[in-house]
Amino acid sequence: MKRNLTLCIASIALVMLMAIPAMSAEVAQGKTVKYDKDNKIIVVEEYDLNITPQTKYGKSTGKELTFDLKEALIGKTPEPGDIVRIAYTVVGKDNKAIRLMNVTKQDIMKK
Amino acid sequence: MRKYYCGFMILVTAIITAILPDIVQAAGGPAEMLVVVADSRRAHGEIARYFVDSYNTNPVWFGIECTIITAIMGVTFGLLTDFIMKRVGIDLTSRKIVEH
Amino acid sequence: MDWYMMYMPIAGIEIFWPGLVLIGFAVGCIGGFFGMGGAWMVTPGLNILGFPMAFAIGTDIAHIAGKSMISTFRHSKFGNVDYKLGLIMIVGTVVGIECGAQVVMWLERIGEVGPVVRWVYIGLLALIALMVFYDYYKATQKKKAGDVGEHGAEGITWYKTLHRINIPPVVHFKVAGITCSAWLPIGVSFLTGVLAGFLGIGGGLIRMPALVYLIGCPTHIAVGTDLFEVMISGLYGTFTYGAKGRIEIWAVFVMLAGAAIGAQIGTVATKYAKGYGIRIAFGLAVLACMVSIILKQFKIDMPATVLILGAVGAICIYICMIMFSGAAKELREKKSAA
Repeated sequence: MKRNLTLCIASIALVMLMAIPAMSAEVAQGKTVKYDKDNKIIVVEEYDLNITPQTKYGKSTGKELTFDLKEALIGKTPEPGDIVRIAYTVVGKDNKAIRLMNVTKQDIMKK
Repeated sequence: MRKYYCGFMILVTAIITAILPDIVQAAGGPAEMLVVVADSRRAHGEIARYFVDSYNTNPVWFGIECTIITAIMGVTFGLLTDFIMKRVGIDLTSRKIVEH
Repeated sequence: MDWYMMYMPIAGIEIFWPGLVLIGFAVGCIGGFFGMGGAWMVTPGLNILGFPMAFAIGTDIAHIAGKSMISTFRHSKFGNVDYKLGLIMIVGTVVGIECGAQVVMWLERIGEVGPVVRWVYIGLLALIALMVFYDYYKATQKKKAGDVGEHGAEGITWYKTLHRINIPPVVHFKVAGITCSAWLPIGVSFLTGVLAGFLGIGGGLIRMPALVYLIGCPTHIAVGTDLFEVMISGLYGTFTYGAKGRIEIWAVFVMLAGAAIGAQIGTVATKYAKGYGIRIAFGLAVLACMVSIILKQFKIDMPATVLILGAVGAICIYICMIMFSGAAKELREKKSAA
Protein backbone atom coordinates (compact mmCIF):
# COMPACT_ATOMS: atom_id res chain seq x y z
CA MET A 1 0.00 0.00 0.00
CA LYS A 2 2.84 2.33 0.88
CA ARG A 3 4.35 1.68 -2.55
CA ASN A 4 1.08 2.70 -4.22
CA LEU A 5 0.94 5.80 -2.09
CA THR A 6 4.49 6.76 -3.06
CA LEU A 7 3.74 6.15 -6.75
CA CYS A 8 0.59 8.29 -6.59
CA ILE A 9 2.45 11.13 -4.86
CA ALA A 10 5.28 10.86 -7.41
CA SER A 11 2.88 11.03 -10.37
CA ILE A 12 1.09 14.05 -8.85
CA ALA A 13 4.45 15.77 -8.30
CA LEU A 14 5.51 15.04 -11.89
CA VAL A 15 2.37 16.58 -13.40
CA MET A 16 2.62 19.55 -11.03
CA LEU A 17 6.22 20.20 -12.04
CA MET A 18 5.01 20.65 -15.60
CA ALA A 19 3.16 23.81 -14.57
CA ILE A 20 5.03 26.89 -15.70
CA PRO A 21 6.68 28.78 -12.84
CA ALA A 22 5.66 32.35 -12.10
CA MET A 23 6.81 35.30 -14.16
CA SER A 24 6.76 38.88 -13.04
CA ALA A 25 4.03 41.34 -13.92
CA GLU A 26 3.45 45.05 -13.41
CA VAL A 27 0.31 46.36 -11.78
CA ALA A 28 -1.49 49.59 -12.59
CA GLN A 29 -4.60 51.08 -11.06
CA GLY A 30 -6.72 53.92 -12.28
CA LYS A 31 -9.96 55.28 -13.68
CA THR A 32 -11.35 53.82 -16.91
CA VAL A 33 -11.35 56.46 -19.64
CA LYS A 34 -12.41 54.27 -22.56
CA TYR A 35 -13.23 50.60 -22.97
CA ASP A 36 -13.41 49.15 -26.48
CA LYS A 37 -15.15 45.81 -25.98
CA ASP A 38 -14.80 44.67 -29.62
CA ASN A 39 -11.09 45.38 -30.00
CA LYS A 40 -10.43 44.48 -26.37
CA ILE A 41 -8.60 47.68 -25.53
CA ILE A 42 -8.87 49.76 -22.38
CA VAL A 43 -7.52 53.23 -21.67
CA VAL A 44 -6.90 54.03 -18.02
CA GLU A 45 -6.02 57.26 -16.22
CA GLU A 46 -3.32 56.05 -13.86
CA TYR A 47 -3.55 56.62 -10.09
CA ASP A 48 -0.59 56.70 -7.70
CA LEU A 49 -0.19 55.15 -4.25
CA ASN A 50 -1.17 58.26 -2.34
CA ILE A 51 -3.93 56.50 -0.44
CA THR A 52 -5.84 58.52 2.14
CA PRO A 53 -9.40 58.30 3.51
CA GLN A 54 -10.35 60.94 0.93
CA THR A 55 -8.53 59.31 -1.97
CA LYS A 56 -8.88 55.62 -1.19
CA TYR A 57 -7.78 54.51 -4.66
CA GLY A 58 -4.88 56.99 -4.92
CA LYS A 59 -4.49 60.32 -6.74
CA SER A 60 -4.48 60.78 -10.50
CA THR A 61 -1.04 61.08 -12.06
CA GLY A 62 -2.58 62.58 -15.20
CA LYS A 63 -0.96 59.85 -17.29
CA GLU A 64 -3.09 57.72 -19.63
CA LEU A 65 -2.14 54.10 -20.23
CA THR A 66 -3.52 51.80 -22.94
CA PHE A 67 -3.81 48.04 -22.35
CA ASP A 68 -4.38 45.18 -24.74
CA LEU A 69 -6.96 42.86 -23.16
CA LYS A 70 -7.06 40.15 -25.87
CA GLU A 71 -5.55 37.46 -23.66
CA ALA A 72 -6.65 38.86 -20.34
CA LEU A 73 -8.95 37.39 -17.73
CA ILE A 74 -11.56 40.10 -17.30
CA GLY A 75 -13.76 40.44 -14.23
CA LYS A 76 -16.90 42.55 -14.18
CA THR A 77 -17.16 44.55 -17.42
CA PRO A 78 -15.54 47.98 -16.92
CA GLU A 79 -17.34 51.17 -17.87
CA PRO A 80 -15.88 54.69 -18.16
CA GLY A 81 -15.39 56.05 -14.63
CA ASP A 82 -14.86 52.63 -13.01
CA ILE A 83 -11.67 52.13 -11.02
CA VAL A 84 -9.79 49.12 -12.42
CA ARG A 85 -6.62 47.30 -11.38
CA ILE A 86 -4.66 45.59 -14.14
CA ALA A 87 -1.80 43.10 -14.00
CA TYR A 88 0.20 43.36 -17.22
CA THR A 89 3.49 42.67 -18.95
CA VAL A 90 5.27 45.03 -21.31
CA VAL A 91 5.87 43.38 -24.69
CA GLY A 92 7.76 45.77 -26.99
CA LYS A 93 5.71 48.96 -26.79
CA ASP A 94 2.45 47.23 -25.85
CA ASN A 95 1.01 46.69 -22.40
CA LYS A 96 -0.42 43.18 -22.52
CA ALA A 97 -2.93 42.72 -19.71
CA ILE A 98 -3.09 39.39 -17.87
CA ARG A 99 -5.93 40.08 -15.42
CA LEU A 100 -8.34 42.94 -15.00
CA MET A 101 -10.13 43.61 -11.72
CA ASN A 102 -13.04 46.01 -11.63
CA VAL A 103 -12.42 47.51 -8.20
CA THR A 104 -15.55 49.71 -8.25
CA LYS A 105 -18.00 46.95 -9.15
CA GLN A 106 -16.59 44.14 -7.06
CA ASP A 107 -15.67 45.68 -3.77
CA ILE A 108 -14.75 42.38 -2.14
CA MET A 109 -14.58 44.04 1.26
CA LYS A 110 -18.37 44.00 1.34
CA LYS A 111 -18.61 40.25 0.80
CA MET B 1 -2.11 -8.47 -11.22
CA ARG B 2 -0.51 -6.16 -8.69
CA LYS B 3 1.57 -4.67 -11.51
CA TYR B 4 -1.57 -3.76 -13.50
CA TYR B 5 -3.21 -2.36 -10.39
CA CYS B 6 -0.22 -0.09 -9.73
CA GLY B 7 -0.15 1.03 -13.37
CA PHE B 8 -3.88 1.74 -13.30
CA MET B 9 -3.54 3.78 -10.10
CA ILE B 10 -0.74 5.86 -11.60
CA LEU B 11 -2.69 6.43 -14.82
CA VAL B 12 -5.86 7.48 -13.00
CA THR B 13 -3.92 9.78 -10.65
CA ALA B 14 -2.02 11.37 -13.52
CA ILE B 15 -5.19 11.95 -15.58
CA ILE B 16 -7.04 13.46 -12.63
CA THR B 17 -4.06 15.67 -11.76
CA ALA B 18 -3.68 16.79 -15.38
CA ILE B 19 -7.33 17.73 -15.87
CA LEU B 20 -7.87 19.20 -12.40
CA PRO B 21 -6.38 22.62 -13.19
CA ASP B 22 -8.87 22.98 -16.07
CA ILE B 23 -11.77 22.06 -13.82
CA VAL B 24 -10.45 24.44 -11.19
CA GLN B 25 -10.07 27.24 -13.73
CA ALA B 26 -13.55 26.54 -15.06
CA ALA B 27 -14.84 27.68 -11.68
CA GLY B 28 -14.10 31.16 -12.96
CA GLY B 29 -16.49 30.53 -15.81
CA PRO B 30 -18.17 33.25 -17.81
CA ALA B 31 -17.47 36.97 -18.09
CA GLU B 32 -19.02 38.29 -14.90
CA MET B 33 -16.77 36.39 -12.54
CA LEU B 34 -14.81 38.11 -9.81
CA VAL B 35 -11.18 38.55 -10.75
CA VAL B 36 -8.80 39.72 -8.05
CA VAL B 37 -5.55 41.45 -8.96
CA ALA B 38 -3.09 41.62 -6.07
CA ASP B 39 -1.51 45.06 -5.85
CA SER B 40 2.22 44.39 -6.22
CA ARG B 41 2.90 48.15 -5.91
CA ARG B 42 2.03 47.85 -2.21
CA ALA B 43 3.89 44.57 -1.57
CA HIS B 44 7.06 45.15 0.41
CA GLY B 45 10.02 42.80 0.15
CA GLU B 46 11.17 40.23 -2.38
CA ILE B 47 9.15 37.33 -0.99
CA ALA B 48 5.87 39.25 -0.91
CA ARG B 49 6.55 40.50 -4.42
CA TYR B 50 7.24 36.95 -5.64
CA PHE B 51 3.95 35.61 -4.26
CA VAL B 52 1.95 38.53 -5.61
CA ASP B 53 3.54 38.05 -9.05
CA SER B 54 2.87 34.37 -9.03
CA TYR B 55 -0.75 35.07 -7.95
CA ASN B 56 -1.27 37.53 -10.78
CA THR B 57 0.44 35.57 -13.54
CA ASN B 58 -0.17 31.89 -12.90
CA PRO B 59 -2.96 30.97 -10.46
CA VAL B 60 -2.47 27.20 -10.80
CA TRP B 61 1.20 27.57 -9.90
CA PHE B 62 0.18 29.81 -7.00
CA GLY B 63 -2.15 27.03 -5.81
CA ILE B 64 0.67 24.48 -5.96
CA GLU B 65 3.00 26.85 -4.10
CA CYS B 66 0.42 27.43 -1.38
CA THR B 67 -0.06 23.67 -0.94
CA ILE B 68 3.65 22.92 -0.68
CA ILE B 69 4.46 25.87 1.57
CA THR B 70 1.54 25.19 3.91
CA ALA B 71 2.58 21.54 4.25
CA ILE B 72 6.18 22.49 4.97
CA MET B 73 5.16 25.22 7.44
CA GLY B 74 2.84 22.82 9.28
CA VAL B 75 5.50 20.14 9.67
CA THR B 76 8.21 22.65 10.63
CA PHE B 77 6.14 24.39 13.29
CA GLY B 78 4.94 21.04 14.64
CA LEU B 79 8.40 19.54 14.91
CA LEU B 80 9.82 22.75 16.34
CA THR B 81 7.26 22.97 19.13
CA ASP B 82 7.62 19.23 19.81
CA PHE B 83 11.36 19.77 20.20
CA ILE B 84 10.87 22.73 22.54
CA MET B 85 8.37 20.80 24.68
CA LYS B 86 10.79 17.87 24.92
CA ARG B 87 13.51 20.23 26.10
CA VAL B 88 11.13 21.56 28.75
CA GLY B 89 10.59 17.98 29.87
CA ILE B 90 7.20 17.09 28.42
CA ASP B 91 7.01 14.37 25.75
CA LEU B 92 3.87 14.54 23.64
CA THR B 93 4.75 12.19 20.80
CA SER B 94 3.12 9.18 22.42
CA ARG B 95 -0.15 10.78 23.42
CA LYS B 96 -3.52 9.51 22.28
CA ILE B 97 -5.50 12.66 21.60
CA VAL B 98 -4.46 14.48 18.48
CA GLU B 99 -5.57 17.92 17.43
CA HIS B 100 -7.04 18.55 14.00
CA MET C 1 -0.59 52.32 8.82
CA ASP C 2 -0.91 51.63 12.55
CA TRP C 3 1.46 49.08 14.15
CA TYR C 4 -1.37 46.70 14.98
CA MET C 5 -2.52 46.53 11.37
CA MET C 6 -0.93 44.24 8.78
CA TYR C 7 -1.34 44.64 5.04
CA MET C 8 -2.46 41.49 3.25
CA PRO C 9 -1.03 41.86 -0.24
CA ILE C 10 -3.30 39.36 -2.00
CA ALA C 11 -6.69 40.37 -0.62
CA GLY C 12 -5.52 43.99 -0.50
CA ILE C 13 -6.85 44.61 2.99
CA GLU C 14 -5.43 45.75 6.31
CA ILE C 15 -5.97 43.27 9.13
CA PHE C 16 -5.73 43.54 12.92
CA TRP C 17 -2.86 41.02 13.18
CA PRO C 18 -3.02 40.32 16.96
CA GLY C 19 -6.54 39.04 16.26
CA LEU C 20 -5.09 36.70 13.65
CA VAL C 21 -2.50 35.35 16.10
CA LEU C 22 -5.19 34.93 18.76
CA ILE C 23 -7.47 32.99 16.41
CA GLY C 24 -4.59 30.73 15.33
CA PHE C 25 -3.53 30.20 18.93
CA ALA C 26 -7.12 29.53 20.03
CA VAL C 27 -7.69 26.94 17.30
CA GLY C 28 -4.53 25.10 18.32
CA CYS C 29 -5.29 25.39 22.01
CA ILE C 30 -8.96 24.35 21.82
CA GLY C 31 -8.22 21.68 19.20
CA GLY C 32 -5.41 20.25 21.30
CA PHE C 33 -7.45 20.32 24.48
CA PHE C 34 -10.71 18.84 23.25
CA GLY C 35 -9.24 16.59 20.56
CA MET C 36 -11.71 17.99 18.05
CA GLY C 37 -11.07 20.58 15.41
CA GLY C 38 -11.32 24.25 16.16
CA ALA C 39 -11.68 25.22 12.52
CA TRP C 40 -15.30 26.21 13.10
CA MET C 41 -14.12 29.51 14.57
CA VAL C 42 -11.56 30.38 11.88
CA THR C 43 -13.78 31.14 8.86
CA PRO C 44 -16.22 33.30 10.88
CA GLY C 45 -13.32 34.82 12.82
CA LEU C 46 -11.42 35.82 9.68
CA ASN C 47 -14.61 37.14 8.10
CA ILE C 48 -15.36 39.23 11.18
CA LEU C 49 -11.75 40.54 11.21
CA GLY C 50 -12.30 41.82 7.67
CA PHE C 51 -11.49 39.03 5.22
CA PRO C 52 -13.93 38.63 2.34
CA MET C 53 -15.83 35.33 2.90
CA ALA C 54 -14.20 33.33 0.07
CA PHE C 55 -10.75 34.37 1.31
CA ALA C 56 -11.72 33.40 4.86
CA ILE C 57 -12.75 29.91 3.70
CA GLY C 58 -9.62 29.41 1.57
CA THR C 59 -7.30 30.63 4.30
CA ASP C 60 -9.03 28.43 6.90
CA ILE C 61 -8.70 25.29 4.77
CA ALA C 62 -5.00 26.02 4.08
CA HIS C 63 -4.34 26.45 7.76
CA ILE C 64 -6.05 23.08 8.45
CA ALA C 65 -3.77 21.42 5.87
CA GLY C 66 -0.68 22.71 7.66
CA LYS C 67 -1.92 21.69 11.07
CA SER C 68 -3.06 18.20 10.06
CA MET C 69 0.26 17.23 8.44
CA ILE C 70 2.03 16.75 11.74
CA SER C 71 -0.94 15.00 13.41
CA THR C 72 -1.17 12.48 10.56
CA PHE C 73 2.52 11.64 10.75
CA ARG C 74 2.23 11.10 14.50
CA HIS C 75 -0.75 8.78 14.05
CA SER C 76 0.68 6.83 11.12
CA LYS C 77 3.65 5.99 13.34
CA PHE C 78 1.30 3.89 15.50
CA GLY C 79 -0.21 2.16 12.45
CA ASN C 80 -3.65 3.67 13.07
CA VAL C 81 -4.27 4.65 9.48
CA ASP C 82 -5.98 2.31 7.01
CA TYR C 83 -4.30 3.61 3.87
CA LYS C 84 -6.43 1.52 1.52
CA LEU C 85 -9.60 2.98 3.00
CA GLY C 86 -7.99 6.41 3.02
CA LEU C 87 -6.97 6.19 -0.64
CA ILE C 88 -10.43 5.08 -1.75
CA MET C 89 -11.96 7.90 0.26
CA ILE C 90 -9.67 10.41 -1.48
CA VAL C 91 -11.86 10.10 -4.60
CA GLY C 92 -14.97 11.23 -2.76
CA THR C 93 -13.11 13.82 -0.68
CA VAL C 94 -11.46 15.54 -3.66
CA VAL C 95 -14.64 15.58 -5.78
CA GLY C 96 -16.64 16.75 -2.75
CA ILE C 97 -14.21 19.58 -1.91
CA GLU C 98 -14.23 20.74 -5.52
CA CYS C 99 -18.04 20.76 -5.53
CA GLY C 100 -18.10 22.74 -2.26
CA ALA C 101 -15.53 25.22 -3.59
CA GLN C 102 -17.45 25.63 -6.86
CA VAL C 103 -20.60 26.44 -4.89
CA VAL C 104 -18.65 29.08 -2.93
CA MET C 105 -17.32 30.62 -6.16
CA TRP C 106 -20.78 30.64 -7.69
CA LEU C 107 -22.24 32.28 -4.59
CA GLU C 108 -19.43 34.84 -4.70
CA ARG C 109 -20.29 35.66 -8.30
CA ILE C 110 -23.93 36.29 -7.47
CA GLY C 111 -22.87 38.27 -4.39
CA GLU C 112 -24.43 35.97 -1.79
CA VAL C 113 -21.46 34.08 -0.40
CA GLY C 114 -21.23 36.09 2.86
CA PRO C 115 -24.82 35.73 4.09
CA VAL C 116 -25.25 32.09 2.93
CA VAL C 117 -22.03 30.81 4.53
CA ARG C 118 -22.73 32.82 7.68
CA TRP C 119 -26.20 31.31 8.10
CA VAL C 120 -24.90 27.79 7.47
CA TYR C 121 -22.25 28.42 10.12
CA ILE C 122 -24.88 29.66 12.56
CA GLY C 123 -26.72 26.35 12.07
CA LEU C 124 -23.55 24.30 12.44
CA LEU C 125 -22.45 26.11 15.60
CA ALA C 126 -25.93 25.74 17.11
CA LEU C 127 -25.60 22.00 16.47
CA ILE C 128 -22.14 21.83 18.06
CA ALA C 129 -23.33 23.79 21.12
CA LEU C 130 -26.34 21.50 21.45
CA MET C 131 -24.08 18.45 21.22
CA VAL C 132 -21.72 19.80 23.88
CA PHE C 133 -24.49 20.74 26.33
CA TYR C 134 -26.34 17.46 25.73
CA ASP C 135 -23.11 15.58 26.37
CA TYR C 136 -22.66 17.51 29.61
CA TYR C 137 -26.25 16.83 30.63
CA LYS C 138 -25.87 13.11 29.94
CA ALA C 139 -22.61 12.94 31.87
CA THR C 140 -24.10 14.64 34.93
CA GLN C 141 -27.17 12.38 34.77
CA LYS C 142 -24.95 9.30 34.64
CA LYS C 143 -22.89 10.58 37.54
CA LYS C 144 -26.04 11.07 39.59
CA ALA C 145 -27.14 7.53 38.76
CA GLY C 146 -23.71 6.24 39.74
CA ASP C 147 -22.95 4.86 36.26
CA VAL C 148 -19.48 5.90 35.20
CA GLY C 149 -18.95 3.36 32.36
CA GLU C 150 -17.86 4.38 28.88
CA HIS C 151 -20.66 4.87 26.40
CA GLY C 152 -19.66 3.17 23.21
CA ALA C 153 -20.95 2.37 19.78
CA GLU C 154 -22.43 -0.96 20.75
CA GLY C 155 -26.00 0.20 20.39
CA ILE C 156 -25.73 1.55 16.89
CA THR C 157 -25.06 -1.01 14.17
CA TRP C 158 -26.19 0.80 11.02
CA TYR C 159 -23.00 -0.30 9.31
CA LYS C 160 -24.13 -3.95 9.44
CA THR C 161 -27.10 -3.02 7.23
CA LEU C 162 -24.96 -0.81 4.98
CA HIS C 163 -22.39 -3.62 4.54
CA ARG C 164 -25.14 -5.67 2.88
CA ILE C 165 -25.04 -3.26 -0.07
CA ASN C 166 -22.77 -5.18 -2.38
CA ILE C 167 -22.48 -2.96 -5.43
CA PRO C 168 -19.12 -3.90 -6.97
CA PRO C 169 -16.30 -3.37 -6.28
CA VAL C 170 -16.60 -4.92 -2.83
CA VAL C 171 -13.32 -4.29 -1.00
CA HIS C 172 -11.75 -5.76 2.12
CA PHE C 173 -9.92 -3.29 4.36
CA LYS C 174 -7.34 -5.26 6.28
CA VAL C 175 -6.32 -2.72 8.92
CA ALA C 176 -9.89 -1.70 9.72
CA GLY C 177 -11.05 -5.33 9.41
CA ILE C 178 -14.16 -4.63 7.35
CA THR C 179 -15.51 -5.66 3.95
CA CYS C 180 -17.91 -3.41 2.10
CA SER C 181 -18.75 -1.85 -1.25
CA ALA C 182 -16.18 0.82 -2.18
CA TRP C 183 -19.10 3.17 -2.87
CA LEU C 184 -19.92 3.37 0.83
CA PRO C 185 -16.67 5.14 1.91
CA ILE C 186 -16.70 7.14 -1.35
CA GLY C 187 -20.22 8.39 -0.60
CA VAL C 188 -19.36 9.28 2.99
CA SER C 189 -16.18 11.08 1.95
CA PHE C 190 -17.99 12.94 -0.83
CA LEU C 191 -20.55 14.38 1.57
CA THR C 192 -17.93 15.42 4.11
CA GLY C 193 -15.80 16.78 1.27
CA VAL C 194 -18.62 19.04 0.09
CA LEU C 195 -19.05 20.36 3.62
CA ALA C 196 -15.30 20.85 4.06
CA GLY C 197 -14.96 22.67 0.74
CA PHE C 198 -17.97 24.84 1.41
CA LEU C 199 -17.22 25.82 5.01
CA GLY C 200 -13.44 25.55 5.02
CA ILE C 201 -13.38 22.99 7.81
CA GLY C 202 -11.60 19.63 8.08
CA GLY C 203 -14.85 17.68 8.13
CA GLY C 204 -13.78 15.44 11.01
CA LEU C 205 -16.88 16.43 12.91
CA ILE C 206 -18.96 14.38 10.48
CA ARG C 207 -16.38 12.00 8.99
CA MET C 208 -15.32 10.54 12.34
CA PRO C 209 -18.78 9.39 13.48
CA ALA C 210 -19.57 8.33 9.89
CA LEU C 211 -16.47 6.12 9.81
CA VAL C 212 -17.48 4.48 13.10
CA TYR C 213 -21.24 4.18 12.71
CA LEU C 214 -21.77 3.93 8.94
CA ILE C 215 -18.61 2.15 7.80
CA GLY C 216 -17.91 0.20 10.97
CA CYS C 217 -14.31 1.22 11.58
CA PRO C 218 -12.80 0.58 15.02
CA THR C 219 -12.51 3.95 16.80
CA HIS C 220 -8.70 4.20 16.84
CA ILE C 221 -8.49 3.39 13.11
CA ALA C 222 -11.30 5.89 12.46
CA VAL C 223 -9.34 8.64 14.25
CA GLY C 224 -6.15 7.93 12.27
CA THR C 225 -7.91 7.52 8.92
CA ASP C 226 -9.97 10.65 9.54
CA LEU C 227 -6.78 12.62 10.20
CA PHE C 228 -5.33 11.27 6.95
CA GLU C 229 -8.50 12.43 5.14
CA VAL C 230 -8.37 15.84 6.86
CA MET C 231 -4.83 16.21 5.57
CA ILE C 232 -5.84 15.24 2.04
CA SER C 233 -8.90 17.49 2.08
CA GLY C 234 -6.79 20.31 3.51
CA LEU C 235 -4.09 19.93 0.88
CA TYR C 236 -6.51 19.64 -2.02
CA GLY C 237 -8.59 22.49 -0.60
CA THR C 238 -5.45 24.63 -0.38
CA PHE C 239 -4.62 23.85 -3.99
CA THR C 240 -8.08 24.53 -5.35
CA TYR C 241 -8.67 27.70 -3.33
CA GLY C 242 -5.13 28.85 -4.17
CA ALA C 243 -5.73 28.32 -7.88
CA LYS C 244 -9.01 30.21 -7.56
CA GLY C 245 -7.02 33.02 -5.93
CA ARG C 246 -8.78 32.91 -2.59
CA ILE C 247 -5.95 32.24 -0.13
CA GLU C 248 -4.03 34.84 1.85
CA ILE C 249 -0.78 32.97 2.46
CA TRP C 250 0.53 35.52 5.01
CA ALA C 251 -2.45 34.98 7.24
CA VAL C 252 -1.92 31.20 7.02
CA PHE C 253 1.67 31.69 8.19
CA VAL C 254 0.70 33.88 11.15
CA MET C 255 -2.09 31.52 12.21
CA LEU C 256 0.00 28.36 11.86
CA ALA C 257 2.65 29.83 14.14
CA GLY C 258 -0.02 30.59 16.75
CA ALA C 259 -1.69 27.19 16.28
CA ALA C 260 1.54 25.20 16.75
CA ILE C 261 2.13 26.78 20.16
CA GLY C 262 -1.55 26.62 21.09
CA ALA C 263 -1.80 22.92 20.19
CA GLN C 264 1.03 22.02 22.55
CA ILE C 265 -0.45 24.00 25.43
CA GLY C 266 -3.92 22.55 24.81
CA THR C 267 -2.64 18.98 24.68
CA VAL C 268 -0.53 19.33 27.82
CA ALA C 269 -3.50 20.89 29.62
CA THR C 270 -5.59 17.73 29.01
CA LYS C 271 -3.25 15.93 31.40
CA TYR C 272 -4.21 18.23 34.25
CA ALA C 273 -7.85 19.02 33.50
CA LYS C 274 -10.47 17.55 35.79
CA GLY C 275 -14.24 17.58 35.60
CA TYR C 276 -16.72 18.58 32.98
CA GLY C 277 -16.77 22.31 33.74
CA ILE C 278 -14.47 23.12 30.84
CA ARG C 279 -17.02 21.59 28.44
CA ILE C 280 -19.48 24.26 29.52
CA ALA C 281 -16.85 26.93 28.79
CA PHE C 282 -16.35 25.37 25.36
CA GLY C 283 -20.08 25.35 24.68
CA LEU C 284 -20.31 28.99 25.73
CA ALA C 285 -17.42 29.89 23.39
CA VAL C 286 -19.30 28.20 20.53
CA LEU C 287 -22.43 30.16 21.41
CA ALA C 288 -20.45 33.42 21.60
CA CYS C 289 -18.99 32.69 18.17
CA MET C 290 -22.50 32.07 16.85
CA VAL C 291 -23.81 35.35 18.28
CA SER C 292 -20.87 37.27 16.79
CA ILE C 293 -21.67 35.82 13.33
CA ILE C 294 -25.25 37.01 13.74
CA LEU C 295 -23.94 40.48 14.72
CA LYS C 296 -21.68 40.49 11.66
CA GLN C 297 -24.61 39.48 9.47
CA PHE C 298 -26.46 42.58 10.65
CA LYS C 299 -23.32 44.71 10.09
CA ILE C 300 -22.69 45.36 13.79
CA ASP C 301 -18.97 44.86 13.18
CA MET C 302 -17.17 46.19 16.25
CA PRO C 303 -19.16 44.28 18.92
CA ALA C 304 -18.89 41.16 16.74
CA THR C 305 -15.09 41.44 16.69
CA VAL C 306 -14.87 42.13 20.43
CA LEU C 307 -17.21 39.23 21.25
CA ILE C 308 -15.47 36.56 19.16
CA LEU C 309 -11.95 37.61 20.19
CA GLY C 310 -13.04 38.02 23.82
CA ALA C 311 -14.69 34.58 23.92
CA VAL C 312 -11.83 32.65 22.33
CA GLY C 313 -9.32 34.70 24.36
CA ALA C 314 -11.10 33.84 27.62
CA ILE C 315 -11.19 30.11 26.90
CA CYS C 316 -7.50 30.22 25.91
CA ILE C 317 -6.57 31.93 29.18
CA TYR C 318 -8.55 29.27 31.06
CA ILE C 319 -6.74 26.41 29.26
CA CYS C 320 -3.34 28.14 29.70
CA MET C 321 -4.00 28.52 33.42
CA ILE C 322 -4.78 24.78 33.71
CA MET C 323 -1.63 23.95 31.76
CA PHE C 324 0.77 26.25 33.60
CA SER C 325 -0.42 25.42 37.09
CA GLY C 326 -0.45 21.68 36.29
CA ALA C 327 2.94 21.67 34.57
CA ALA C 328 4.53 23.72 37.34
CA LYS C 329 3.18 21.26 39.92
CA GLU C 330 4.46 18.27 37.93
CA LEU C 331 7.93 19.78 37.46
CA ARG C 332 8.08 20.62 41.18
CA GLU C 333 7.16 17.03 42.06
CA LYS C 334 9.77 15.69 39.63
CA LYS C 335 12.43 17.88 41.21
CA SER C 336 11.54 16.88 44.76
CA ALA C 337 11.52 13.18 43.77
CA ALA C 338 14.99 13.56 42.28
